[in-house]
Amino acid sequence: MLTFIVRRLLLALPVLLGVVFVVMLTIDLLPGDAVSLMLGEHATPEAVATLRDHLGLDKPFLVRYLDYVGRVLGGDLGRSIQQNRPVAAELADAWPATLELAAAALLIAAGLGILAGVASAVWPNSLFDALARLGSLFGLSMPIFWTGLVLIVVFSLWLNWLPVGGAGSLRHLVLPAVTLALPSVAMIARMTRSAVLDVLREDYVRTARAKGVGEAWVLGRHALRNACIPILTLIGLQSGQLMGGAVLTETVFAWPGLGRLMVKAIFARDYVLLQGAVLVFALAFVVINLLVDLSYGLLDPRVGRQG
Amino acid sequence: MRRSLLALLVLALTVALVPAAGAQKRGGTLTIVRPTDPVSLEPNLETTAPGAWVYFNMLEGLLALDDKMQIKPALATSYEVMSPTKVRFKLRPNVKFHDGTPFNAAAVKFTYDRALHGKPPARWASLAGSLSGAEMVDDLTVDIVTREPYGPILRTLAMYCMGIVSPAAVQKLGPDFSRAPVGTGPFKFVEWKTNTHVIIERFNDYWGDKALLDRVIFKVVPEEGARMIALQTGDADMVLFPSPAQLPALRTDPKFTVHETTGIRVVFAGLHAGQPPLDDVRVRQALLHAVDRKSIVDNIMEGSAGPARGVLAPGVFGYKDMQLDKLYPFDRARARALLAQAGWTPGPDGILAKGGQKLSLSWLAARGRYPKDGEITEAIQAMFKEVGVEARVQVLEWAAVFQQVRGNPLNHHMFTLGWVTSNADADYSLFALFHSKQAPPAGWNTSRYANARVDTLVEQARRSLNQSEREKLYFEVQDILAREMVWIPVYTTKEIIAARSGVKGFQIHPVEYNLALWKTWLDR
Repeated sequence: MLTFIVRRLLLALPVLLGVVFVVMLTIDLLPGDAVSLMLGEHATPEAVATLRDHLGLDKPFLVRYLDYVGRVLGGDLGRSIQQNRPVAAELADAWPATLELAAAALLIAAGLGILAGVASAVWPNSLFDALARLGSLFGLSMPIFWTGLVLIVVFSLWLNWLPVGGAGSLRHLVLPAVTLALPSVAMIARMTRSAVLDVLREDYVRTARAKGVGEAWVLGRHALRNACIPILTLIGLQSGQLMGGAVLTETVFAWPGLGRLMVKAIFARDYVLLQGAVLVFALAFVVINLLVDLSYGLLDPRVGRQG
Repeated sequence: MRRSLLALLVLALTVALVPAAGAQKRGGTLTIVRPTDPVSLEPNLETTAPGAWVYFNMLEGLLALDDKMQIKPALATSYEVMSPTKVRFKLRPNVKFHDGTPFNAAAVKFTYDRALHGKPPARWASLAGSLSGAEMVDDLTVDIVTREPYGPILRTLAMYCMGIVSPAAVQKLGPDFSRAPVGTGPFKFVEWKTNTHVIIERFNDYWGDKALLDRVIFKVVPEEGARMIALQTGDADMVLFPSPAQLPALRTDPKFTVHETTGIRVVFAGLHAGQPPLDDVRVRQALLHAVDRKSIVDNIMEGSAGPARGVLAPGVFGYKDMQLDKLYPFDRARARALLAQAGWTPGPDGILAKGGQKLSLSWLAARGRYPKDGEITEAIQAMFKEVGVEARVQVLEWAAVFQQVRGNPLNHHMFTLGWVTSNADADYSLFALFHSKQAPPAGWNTSRYANARVDTLVEQARRSLNQSEREKLYFEVQDILAREMVWIPVYTTKEIIAARSGVKGFQIHPVEYNLALWKTWLDR
């Protein structure tokens, strides 16, 4: 087991290096550079040249890439170009907020999604099932920024129950977490419904019922446990989605997280800051995937034996 | 030549002593929402609005600009011109920084040395012309020195980003100073939570009238819709950059006050006069006649901008109304006549042509950099078509437009830009934009305009420290420019701030960055 984890983490290293390379190249290929954006319309060419030189931006791309990788391996994420502040400090300010938001959204998505999916599977083609399907379609189709604004209008402006935006308390967390969770709730509900329905048609479920096992036990012990693998895979994938969606949600709800930091870095062409943020995201993906893989072994003993 | 600022001060005091309607109330917290977090809270690293709005209330310069754009004393009380490159300032006595250390000539010298000779220099160094530093005379007297005679020196020193910082605090905090600046202003720094808020509070040892508010919170709300809802629910008292679409409703609602004034940015369609076909002045004049500028201001800007009466905005020193509406009224017949004079005749597809070449202009524009820049570009494109001129508009992201416009050569006939006269002195614009030696990459003469008389006049005006003489020289420059138009000026920006009506005593300033909150109070 331990060798498995270590091997997976080592394999992540080239992935992270590749991510850094691609991001840095993209920023380099974008028109406009950090310094002229920073100094604005009024900068003299000498001022631009001095600052570029000071920041090391005049070095060739590969040199800057190797420089950066070398520093990161030494544990230094550098200083942001625009703010001249340690990137590690910027990330430390921002990532707990994103983690909080994504975790809350994941909890809502998994809880609501599985409940709704199981209910739909138990009573297929019922009124509830029809409503759940309609709701899922809605949840999947509506863009986050639209849902977010509608929720703000209803719960902040009309009902005055919840704050418009910002972070700090549980009340601040409700609207952004729900907004972010909605598309995932829909996905998970759909997946749970079909997975549970499939299992419920299996012979062993019929056998279980035939020998007089109670319906709750059939669902919990036989159906859901066996339907778990695809649902869990989806939840793993969704956690990645949630972090991506956080960029939009954080903007709509003024949530001070990594997503907003990334947007800011892109507009300022601040590749050092952007790299740091992307590294955190990439690392989170790697860890989530690892956790999902490990959980397969817990849920399905066969996976562990084969692995 | 000695001139005291005392007279101005007396005038300001008289105005302040006129009793205000309704007594001012002290105390309370003002919550402001705006779209982005500061880059930094000290001017050396930040010259854009998100940071300037905050530090303008904490740091003061030697001089300031009042809301009529006149120079008034701040940390200096009087000045005397010693030589064409040296101005001597008497400093205000008994002024303390927020950290308790005294303000003096050494602090002025320290601030300018650090900004102008630091590695790298301050981001505002390019705004400050030939300002080269400060020399101490005695504890409360300082000489401001320039490399060459520099007429705009007073307005340059009155810029929002020229605040004097506490040397002791800079030494103590090091790089962290940029996140917790210490100045002499009416508010002092409390806290900055990245991407969440900045808090400042009243400085009780301020030398002048103390601020009325206890605290100000600057919150970040990136989404325009969410900002406006925050104002309505009372989560915010004031919105910077309010949504233009909602302003008409807010103006008529007694719960809100919309503060507005003419700004100092002119947004224009620039013409590349250094190459055919726009090197022909008749073609340029025809293009001005072809554009219904009033309709653009009324229908596209919907009252959130003022008409552009020239290449400068009215608040700028040296501004002259260029009488564009009289010289170049919207008149398609005159446009066609001028184009015909220049030898352009209608081709088979209705587009004018000369010698087999179509009158087809390539036009570089961004969308979203200046209010409605994309829309006005499209509107003018359609108006050109009515007189047989084709415009091929290329809309790119701002960073890309910037790179091309600032580069040399420029492979477009036209470009949409906005220009702020940052130090509110005509020199800043007329020199950098119209002197023949200022073509990119040296300066911002993107039109490649070249007129020897204009060159002489702007050089002379820059060297003179006699302000009324300078004004006359700038008037003549604008008279020449009015005849030879290398821009189609479209609108002058308005500064607009929406607030709840309980926010009293707030005076909006033509310079976007000058958000003065020390006279503001809350009635609730």
